[in-house]
Amino acid sequence: MISSFETWQITFFSIAVGLASTLLILPFGIALAWLFARKEWPLKSVVETVVLLPLVMPPVSTGLILLKIFGRRSPLGQWLYERGIEIVFNWKGVLIAMSVMSFPLLVRSVRTSFAEVNVRLEQIAATLGASPLKIFFVITIPLAYKGIVAGALLAFSRALGEFGATILLAGNIPGKTQTLSLAIYNFVQLGKDPEAYTLLGITVALAFLFVWSSEWLLRSEKRLY
Amino acid sequence: MLLRCRVPLAHFELDIDVSFDARLASIFGPSGSGKTTILDAIAGLRNIKTGEIEINGRTLFSSAQGINRPPQERGVGYVPQEGALFPHLSVRNNILFGATRDTFGKSKDISLNHVLDVLEIGNLLDRPVTKLSGGEAQRVALARAILSQPQLLLMDEPLASLDITLKEKILPYLARVRDEFEIPMIYVTHSLAEVLTLADWVLMIKQGQLVTQGVPKEALRSSHAILEIPEEQFENVFTVSLVDSDVDAGRTKVRMQTGEELFIPYVAQPPGPLFQIRISADDIIVATQNPEGTSAGNVLPGIIRRIDMREGQAMLMVLAGEEFYVKVTAAAVKKLGLVVDCPVFLMMKARSFRLL
Repeated sequence: MISSFETWQITFFSIAVGLASTLLILPFGIALAWLFARKEWPLKSVVETVVLLPLVMPPVSTGLILLKIFGRRSPLGQWLYERGIEIVFNWKGVLIAMSVMSFPLLVRSVRTSFAEVNVRLEQIAATLGASPLKIFFVITIPLAYKGIVAGALLAFSRALGEFGATILLAGNIPGKTQTLSLAIYNFVQLGKDPEAYTLLGITVALAFLFVWSSEWLLRSEKRLY
Repeated sequence: MLLRCRVPLAHFELDIDVSFDARLASIFGPSGSGKTTILDAIAGLRNIKTGEIEINGRTLFSSAQGINRPPQERGVGYVPQEGALFPHLSVRNNILFGATRDTFGKSKDISLNHVLDVLEIGNLLDRPVTKLSGGEAQRVALARAILSQPQLLLMDEPLASLDITLKEKILPYLARVRDEFEIPMIYVTHSLAEVLTLADWVLMIKQGQLVTQGVPKEALRSSHAILEIPEEQFENVFTVSLVDSDVDAGRTKVRMQTGEELFIPYVAQPPGPLFQIRISADDIIVATQNPEGTSAGNVLPGIIRRIDMREGQAMLMVLAGEEFYVKVTAAAVKKLGLVVDCPVFLMMKARSFRLL
């Protein structure tokens, strides 16, 4: 029988790394989404495609690419290893797998909400003397906040559900890289159905909480600004 | 101000080269003639191919000198057609949005209270902008632009989205802004009545080209200008003073600046010692003999000075003290034998006049 310590360890680890990955990608995602929605630059469509690739590629393929990039035999992996940083088969691998897999969802959601902000409002703010930075933080972000919140929740949920890329890059090591999704798979493989069902219950409860809170947040008249 | 710019658009090229000094200049022309593009170019919101823009001796754009100031540094207040209030800010925060900007040497002499008084929006300050009516939103947008202490105020058809009654309510506010604050204004419109009421200079635009410019009544008098004005728009606007009002008769007697007197519908309290009335060119009847037994309250003798024919319609310019534009069919011209210098009588119902 799964101990309550193990249950909490797995749950806490998943939520903590998931949260960290969402916070990590949030500034980059918002910046990139703004560049996509508001600016024209060379190779923009190529970059857009590359960013969206993890959304459509099999997660395992993405995981394999990440393993090739961060593995100790790659130049980057070697460089990091010489500085005492190891990505593969520890929590940093989980973080990177989650971040890469949830990034496109965040960017897509935020980009759409930026595109829906009337450019005329930003232009008028400029004629009123507002700097580009003030326009961004006082006009654009507040008007797009719903899409940003929705995108962050979506990214966090995707991070928690991440399986394929994580198992390739970080493995499935109990107490070290094992997330909820990996643990459920593991217990089912081992025929430990009760343990799997306990974790299943937790994932359902978490999912319920996200959907419910995001609906509440987006529907409520209360504004974040 | 100096305005010389070329901007390629989808179907034609905007090519304007004008220089004028006016309190309120209006850019007048049909929809899609490039009017909004001109305002955007002045405000720095649109790329100009070549040209030069100068306001109060300050160069905002010059392709020759390589100057292209960003919108933040142009010192131009812009009231776009849709108002474009920031929906997430209160009326107060909208109005004060540009109040702290750098004013590029212009003293900050316009106070919040003054603007609130002139536009009568003091009671709206704490409302969310989503709860404003169309007329209120336009006044708030105007206040926001004025309080940024601009060197020039740009207005893009501020009345276009309002219905007739609201238009007549907002128009006096625009006149007050023009008279109270010493900010030169450029006012885009496709309404001739607004040009004749508000502007002391007009730039008439068609397909991105200047048709004519000048003091409105004189500039729009030329044949080629008249032919460009949409038929249904042709209105006569006169400045008059009150003679007397008779509530029982339901009419008010006014005197035009040339001395002729007219009856208009009863007005309890005129807006000022001098005010403007208007009558559509369609609402004036021409007779070759002094008519008797008519319900028309006004019969003025005059002389036809010009006849412009267009698509079976004739636009007569009749001098009867002031110049009256009268629209009749080509058939009527033929039947009555109307020619230039022919004496006629103009019949106008008191009720056909509207107060501005």
